[in-house]
Amino acid sequence: MDETQEIIEEFLIESNENLTQLDQDFIKLEQQPDDNALLSSVFRTIHTIKGTGGVLGFGILEAITHRAESILSQLREGERRLTPALTTLLLETVDIVKKILREIEASGNEGSERYLDLVERLQAVCDDKSGAEAVAPEQASAGNPGGLERSYPPASEPVEEVAAEGDEHPHFARQPDSASPAEGEQGEPPAAVPAATRSSVTDANIRVSVDLLDKLMNLVGELVLTRNQILQYTDTQEDAAFTATSQRLNLITTELQANVMKTRMQPIRVVWNQFPRVVRDLGQAFGKQLELQMDGANTELDKTIIEAIKDPLTHIVRNSCDHGIEMPEVRAAAGKPSKGTVLLRAFHEGGQVNIEISDDGAGINPDKLKQKAVQNGILTLDQAERLSQREALDLTFLPGLSTAKQVTNVSGRGVGMDVVKTNIEKIGGSIDLQSRLGHGTTLKIKIPLTLAIIPALVIECAGERFAIPQVNLVELVRLETGQEGQQQIELIGDTPVYRLRGKLLPLVYLSDVLGLDGSHETGESVNIIVLQADQKTFGLVVDAVHDTAEIVVKPLSKLLKGLNCYAGATIMGDGHVALILDVMGLAQLGGVVGESASHVQSAADSRDAGAAEKQAVLLFRAGAKDRLAVPLALVDRLEEFGVEAIELSGERQVVQYRERILPLMPLGSYLSGTEGDAASDEKVQVIVFSEGTKRIGIVVDEILDIVDEAITIRSRSSQPGILGSAVVGGQVTDFIDLHYLIEEASGDWFGGKSGAAAEGAHILVTEGSRFTRGLMRTHLEMAGYRVHEAANSEEAMECLRSETVDVLVSSLDLPGESGGQLLTRVRGLPDVGKVPALGLSLSAEELSRRPETGPAFDEYQLKFDRAAMLHSIEKLASAVLERKPETVGTGADV
Amino acid sequence: MERALIVDDSRAMRRILSSTIRELGFEISEAGNGREALETLDALDDSVKLILVDWNMPEMNGLEFVTELRKTRQKFSSAKVMMVTTETAMEQMVKALEAGADEYIMKPFTKEAVVDKLRLLGLVV
Repeated sequence: MDETQEIIEEFLIESNENLTQLDQDFIKLEQQPDDNALLSSVFRTIHTIKGTGGVLGFGILEAITHRAESILSQLREGERRLTPALTTLLLETVDIVKKILREIEASGNEGSERYLDLVERLQAVCDDKSGAEAVAPEQASAGNPGGLERSYPPASEPVEEVAAEGDEHPHFARQPDSASPAEGEQGEPPAAVPAATRSSVTDANIRVSVDLLDKLMNLVGELVLTRNQILQYTDTQEDAAFTATSQRLNLITTELQANVMKTRMQPIRVVWNQFPRVVRDLGQAFGKQLELQMDGANTELDKTIIEAIKDPLTHIVRNSCDHGIEMPEVRAAAGKPSKGTVLLRAFHEGGQVNIEISDDGAGINPDKLKQKAVQNGILTLDQAERLSQREALDLTFLPGLSTAKQVTNVSGRGVGMDVVKTNIEKIGGSIDLQSRLGHGTTLKIKIPLTLAIIPALVIECAGERFAIPQVNLVELVRLETGQEGQQQIELIGDTPVYRLRGKLLPLVYLSDVLGLDGSHETGESVNIIVLQADQKTFGLVVDAVHDTAEIVVKPLSKLLKGLNCYAGATIMGDGHVALILDVMGLAQLGGVVGESASHVQSAADSRDAGAAEKQAVLLFRAGAKDRLAVPLALVDRLEEFGVEAIELSGERQVVQYRERILPLMPLGSYLSGTEGDAASDEKVQVIVFSEGTKRIGIVVDEILDIVDEAITIRSRSSQPGILGSAVVGGQVTDFIDLHYLIEEASGDWFGGKSGAAAEGAHILVTEGSRFTRGLMRTHLEMAGYRVHEAANSEEAMECLRSETVDVLVSSLDLPGESGGQLLTRVRGLPDVGKVPALGLSLSAEELSRRPETGPAFDEYQLKFDRAAMLHSIEKLASAVLERKPETVGTGADV
Repeated sequence: MERALIVDDSRAMRRILSSTIRELGFEISEAGNGREALETLDALDDSVKLILVDWNMPEMNGLEFVTELRKTRQKFSSAKVMMVTTETAMEQMVKALEAGADEYIMKPFTKEAVVDKLRLLGLVV
């Protein structure tokens, strides 16, 4: 790396450090506009970026920071007061500066964006000194204990005031402490900015790359393993000198491990720092009065964990501000202070880090949660009634539940607490929700200090050794003397249970769950390991309990990742590999995990059972619609185009795609009827569809997921472009009407609706999949046909006998009798047997494979080629109607 | 070898200056503000020939530093002090020069500009 590159990197690191602090400083300034020391610190940060950026030739950065600096200078001179609007502008400036710094980091230059708008607005503020913001100098200096003079001094004034001349106004805090009264209340170390810069010179601090730390951590892990092996070997040795040496090795390794772990520790402040800004912005956006209190910001956590909890914590804080804290009027009416408080606490306890997020808001109403769960089909009414209040609150963590009255852009999307919970559990943590209606909500998160080395209990089952993380361990129970021991285990239904101090403890036999040899009937004694998973305790029956050990967690290979009963593997002292059990996974496999969760699971299962077959569905977001879907079978490709690639052809957006012109449809703006804002991002996400030879790209905001689920379109939609909605992943999801959109986007590619000649014809759709059937019904009805449905050939025959059918449409692949067999039976019928028939196949391959024997369908088409299917049906139906025109209108209405 | 002390609260700026000054054959010491600079100087001998001082720093700014240096640290009376600032106001510079600074340079500067100023001070040929 050359010198300049190194300098630029230093500049980036330094600027980012200072900017993190800046967000908070601005917010504090808003509350204490007269804090001159704080202003000086803010001023200096911007000033430094401007100066260094200028030397390094970053002109845009310089232009922006120069104007921000001027405004700050006016603030410090008392020529202007900090208003919320001005704070917002300055915060925005900080964001842009950060963005430019990121760009520099990524590409080495500032990028092409010039932010002229921001520069202009900053300039406008600089120029407008006459505004209401201006205050008299006396006012600004009030309450400043330093007693620094603020008016323009005569030339003979003492030294520090001379600096007030011109543009440079260094009213420095003469004692470093005076810079930190505001910070003190949040439990942060005073003045992080000077601290950071000071340290590299006089303190013995150096920068070490995280890669190196990770490597050290891995090496220490290996060392711990080797140490364990040596200790095990020592036990068999008599040599006193060797024993003593290995004891020393033991001690040193332990200490080394502790210290290397410390190098990876970061204060949780790193994550929390962004929250004052988040809370402020939310407060402004909602018109709520919010206060954020932070306690224990210096609590340290492993870097990996810090990264893992960042998003979950942000989500929870946003939730608290959005859903928790009420509007000021509501609070006042409830006799609470109009300002709502969100409190963050962090502390170490029992080898774990505890993080609590509490608000004094409205609390969660468990009855509403139940109602919602019943509404969304997650629970039956009966199940809901049986839930305790506590279990009802835990419903919060289920996917698809959001009780927010209004879906805001902050939360209430229903992707939320379930993801939070999953993320926390992924790093071996647990989350617990407590709420009192009218008093507020508290979320308690417990997470391990580090993920790399954990204390574990080593157990044996069927000759194999396993490690169980001690976090999950509650106690060990040993039932002695075979027969009696077995008798203490009772059966409730099929579930073995043990009465532990009067409470029933469901038992899981590890050998059963893992499918290992070894019968649990023969043991002389029974070893029960009482474990906790998801607020439920259960007993794991194993053959033997060995020892506790510090184990190094090695991730499982990709092939084994799917096994949720294992959390990883480790190398034991004797060099053998042992699998680490995932207690949560075991509980699920053993069928003992939380009642409410399993209820819910079974409810979901039975709901799915009805629809039986699964459908791959692409979920995405566009405009105001948070959850849209389209069957994956219809999707050609997912593409990403740079905005610069988008051209205008007439009024239509197009891109060149595979040497052809691909028309684009901005779905979000189309559905909401507003102007598209695709250009605001640098890239657009496009789903490419094709019908026949035509292609179209639908521009969406974000591709969310692909799910495999049994889907039934429940309600039809009246909104053009939307076919209807269905529950996908427990959430209501709108299915887009692809054909309609393609028609809209491309004018009359397919000649609009089906011809009038065929309108009103009766079509029998025979299709095994309820979903596809529903889709076809919708398509056909929109084309003006009347539709009968049959799920298999029996139902189809029944329908043909009882109803008028002009065209038979059948999938070749039906449950039970195939489409071909159905056609053979139909052709055998008198009269109605001559009905024209269209065979639908999922793939061209299947079409070519169809048996030579038996009657042939009049036409064949691919199942998802809607245009072609409609074309065939129209052809067949028109022929029928021409032959017997009286059919129209005389058929029994469906 | 002659030594230069670079006083600036920005690490990046210190590196920029060090890299230029080092090329001119100086050994480099650094300090993050005026107070640190005085402490650093107290541990050094009079091989320090050049002190580059930022104007705006926390704890003790450039002007305070120069004033203090010239008043109390006779050992370094032969060392040249050059102020580094972003601002153009000459009156400030006058103050600094009155307090004992020898030269000043304004950010953003080029390497050549630094060398020119040092040539004026007789530190490079």
